[in-house]
Amino acid sequence: MTINDLTLRLRALLRPDRAEQELAEELAFHIEREARKLVDEGMTPAEARERAQARFGSTALAADRCRDERGTVVIDSSIRDVQYALRAVAKAPLAALTVVVTVAIGLGVVAVLFTVLNTLIFRVDQVPDVGAMYAVERPPSARADGSLLTRPIFEAMRADTHVFTDAYATVPGIVLHVDGRRMAVTLVTGNFFQVVRVTPVLGRGLVPADDARSGGHAVIVLSHKGWDRHFNRDPNVLGRTVIVNGAPFEIIGVTAAGFRGLEVGGPDVWAPLSQLGQFRPADRGREDTVGVEIVGRLGPHVSTDSARAQLAAWDANQSADTLQGHSTRIDLLPRRGTVPQPLEAVAVFAPLFVAFGLILMIGCANVANLLLAQGVARQREIGIRLSLGASRGRIVRQLMTESVLLALAAAAGGYLISRLALEGAVHFTLRTIPVDIGDVDLTVPAADWRVAVFLVVGAVAATGVFALMPALHATAIDPMRTLRGEVVRDARPGRARNALIGVQVFASALLLICAAVFLRSAIASARFDPGLRTADTVLIDINSEETRAAMIRAVASDATITASAAVRPQLLAPLRLAFADSGAGKTRVACKAVSGSYFDVLDIPIVRGRTFMPSERDHHPVAIVTESVARALWPDGEGVGESVRLEPDAGVQAPSGLLRINPRAPADDGLVQARMVTVVGVVRDVPGLRFTGIKEAGVFLPTGLDVAKTSIVARVQGEPNLARQALLDRLTRIDPNMGTIVTMRSVAGVETFFLQTAFWVSVVLGGLALLLTVSGLFGVLSYLVEQRTREIGLRMALGASPRTVTRLVLGQTTWPVMAGLIAGAALAAALATAVLATPVGALISQIVHVMDPVAYLASLGLIVVVCLLAAWIPAARAAKVDPMRTLRQV
Amino acid sequence: MARIPDLLPGTLDLLILRTLQKDVLHGWAVSERIQQVSQDVLQINQGSLYPALHRLEHQGWIGAEWKVSELGRRAKYYRLTAAGRRQLAVEAREWERMAQAIGRVMKLA
Repeated sequence: MTINDLTLRLRALLRPDRAEQELAEELAFHIEREARKLVDEGMTPAEARERAQARFGSTALAADRCRDERGTVVIDSSIRDVQYALRAVAKAPLAALTVVVTVAIGLGVVAVLFTVLNTLIFRVDQVPDVGAMYAVERPPSARADGSLLTRPIFEAMRADTHVFTDAYATVPGIVLHVDGRRMAVTLVTGNFFQVVRVTPVLGRGLVPADDARSGGHAVIVLSHKGWDRHFNRDPNVLGRTVIVNGAPFEIIGVTAAGFRGLEVGGPDVWAPLSQLGQFRPADRGREDTVGVEIVGRLGPHVSTDSARAQLAAWDANQSADTLQGHSTRIDLLPRRGTVPQPLEAVAVFAPLFVAFGLILMIGCANVANLLLAQGVARQREIGIRLSLGASRGRIVRQLMTESVLLALAAAAGGYLISRLALEGAVHFTLRTIPVDIGDVDLTVPAADWRVAVFLVVGAVAATGVFALMPALHATAIDPMRTLRGEVVRDARPGRARNALIGVQVFASALLLICAAVFLRSAIASARFDPGLRTADTVLIDINSEETRAAMIRAVASDATITASAAVRPQLLAPLRLAFADSGAGKTRVACKAVSGSYFDVLDIPIVRGRTFMPSERDHHPVAIVTESVARALWPDGEGVGESVRLEPDAGVQAPSGLLRINPRAPADDGLVQARMVTVVGVVRDVPGLRFTGIKEAGVFLPTGLDVAKTSIVARVQGEPNLARQALLDRLTRIDPNMGTIVTMRSVAGVETFFLQTAFWVSVVLGGLALLLTVSGLFGVLSYLVEQRTREIGLRMALGASPRTVTRLVLGQTTWPVMAGLIAGAALAAALATAVLATPVGALISQIVHVMDPVAYLASLGLIVVVCLLAAWIPAARAAKVDPMRTLRQV
Repeated sequence: MARIPDLLPGTLDLLILRTLQKDVLHGWAVSERIQQVSQDVLQINQGSLYPALHRLEHQGWIGAEWKVSELGRRAKYYRLTAAGRRQLAVEAREWERMAQAIGRVMKLA
């Protein structure tokens, strides 16, 4: 097809009246010209016209053949198909609406997932020519520091190699607490904004002068997110300052909404890399040994392979100069603001897609059932069209056109539903997540053209596949018999229908079992007693030792705090392990240092002996042990008054929980010293906070609040969240970058919260599944009863009782429902077994009772009851069929 | 009026292209010119002429424009395009070969 051809066809399509008119004019001219010639030869005008027309033959035929040459027949007939489809929809609007709504719901829930996945792996950052951005990585080598890229390496690489037009170094993921809220900071070299070629919408970006090693500027650039979250989109934000560990940083710019700095989530703030010491005091003075990420814009004519080779060669050379034994492999990974391992994201999302896809599948099964029923109802019409000479392909095409139209409407509906669901879910999560844990930047991911394509393709595929089968069914009929009004037996698609019902019940069972398992686990988790007082206690982190004294004074004088204690490491951090040897027994124990009031604040009962005196501090050789440790060390003795030797162990207590609240908390090396300690008290063993995986210690050592690295655990008056907020207000005045204040109630509730969230997700999905299944079942049975009214009437006239009729109708669905239930429960159990077999599964199973028989039975029972109800109404209607009337109708 | 009902397939296209080689003509003039040049041996079936013209236009071998005709009203004039010129050369060569082949067969017989 040439361009010429295409433009002419397009013209004929877009301006059909004009093309038609030109054709008529052209043919008319021919006849007129012929007539003129004949007149010139001496004929009368009237005679000449007649003669000319006769010579030409049929203008209509010629015009038709010209139109054929135009090649718009396919499209013309498509337009007729659409008109036909619209007419069919108008004739049965309720059926069409059912199809659209059902598919829209299914697509909507899947689109929710796709939108999230899209932001993770497809949505590249709004950076000009983002495809040229690559991160330089050294594969981790056996030697821990060998693979580290540092700022000096970056600067040397930038100076020596030319594979990148330019590159920047970055340290992402620094978390500050500013006025009690998390602020995510990414440090970048001063050329960052030049490399990514992004200009802030307000103010200016960082420039190399800001990042000078000496005489740099204390300035930051806000991302749109940071501007929104921390400054409420204040238009006069430029020039305001943020206090970072005591030093003011001036805001000089705000970037546009779409720019995330080539990260998936994007930070709140970009600051010069030379300010690293200010942002992470621990790294002050050793800035050149801190690992950085290097990201560059590949030169226009450099392939990734040659770039990789050049960098590796440079690296090998460099290593030979300085250190031996460097790994000389260099990896270049695309850096586009998506997750670096898209396959892993897909793997995580796959089971979710299956769960959400089940809804779509059930919906489609409903649609197919409906269309099957409709196809039977339309047999007569289709029979007439077949006998008038329409080809089977043509009719199938018309039915398909109809379903594509419905699919497009469903895609639009699915979009609406996915947006509502996402907004609702984020709102719901932000509302229900414990407020102190919930300082997360959860935003509704935006939909883009990829989501639109996904929806349309999904809708067309779904309705296409599920509409084609009924369409083929409907056209596989004998025109003569249908014309006579006989509904052909072969076209009654009973087997397909039963399979569809079975599949629906199967999916509902699977989802509802999940929901029930989560619900039961959530209830169990809410009842779990950690053995610590959680109702009115809070944890207060002290981040900076400079402000410690002031913070302690403020806490001590605060009216809302009734009691406080010191604890180290922080209550949610992994504990230090030690080796305890009493002579009579030895054991590995987890240690923590606490002040004397700790047991009182957290309500841990002291069984024997006493707690620490205020005068007993870090250097005092005393300890308190739990009952189980005492039993292990002194199988026969009381424990109190005995001596035990502690040796620091290299390890830390590995958190075994699913959620690690503080995974990167540095291990506290000075906590346990090798020495003899005397046991002054024995306390009861408590389970500790289960979900965090941090068990309570076995050995407690003395400390005080004024000792570095200790945190505060305090008991407050009144509603803990209000008390927390009040404390936060007062304490951030002393140190704007102080750590978080968390209520123990929230920490303890985290587990329940996650289980509840899982429950709600699965119960919404399961509910939808059941609803769709039931409506489908109801629809199918009602339709069957209607179809078989005559037969039922006949049976009753021949002596069938209403009860046998009811049983007949119910019997229609017994087998598919039972098969679906069994398959669903079997698959759920198989999945649970598979999960249990994995290492993560063992952890999960402590919290989620995946094989809970009550959950299985309850959900299966619910499905049976609901299906019975759905079947009962049509069955009852069948039993009321009046044999005389139906027989007379024939 | 003697008619040649069965032109060899594709011959009509060739005749139209050849006729438009030098001049820009409307449909009637094309058929008239063919008739004249062939001394009335070839009379184009006018019902086939216009589909052929439209087909050639779609293929891009001839272009069309509306101009005022000798009758004073507007008519659709066709002219050969560059692609049409190449196509004409190809088809003319083919025709030559075919005519020679037929000629040889006829002489032999």
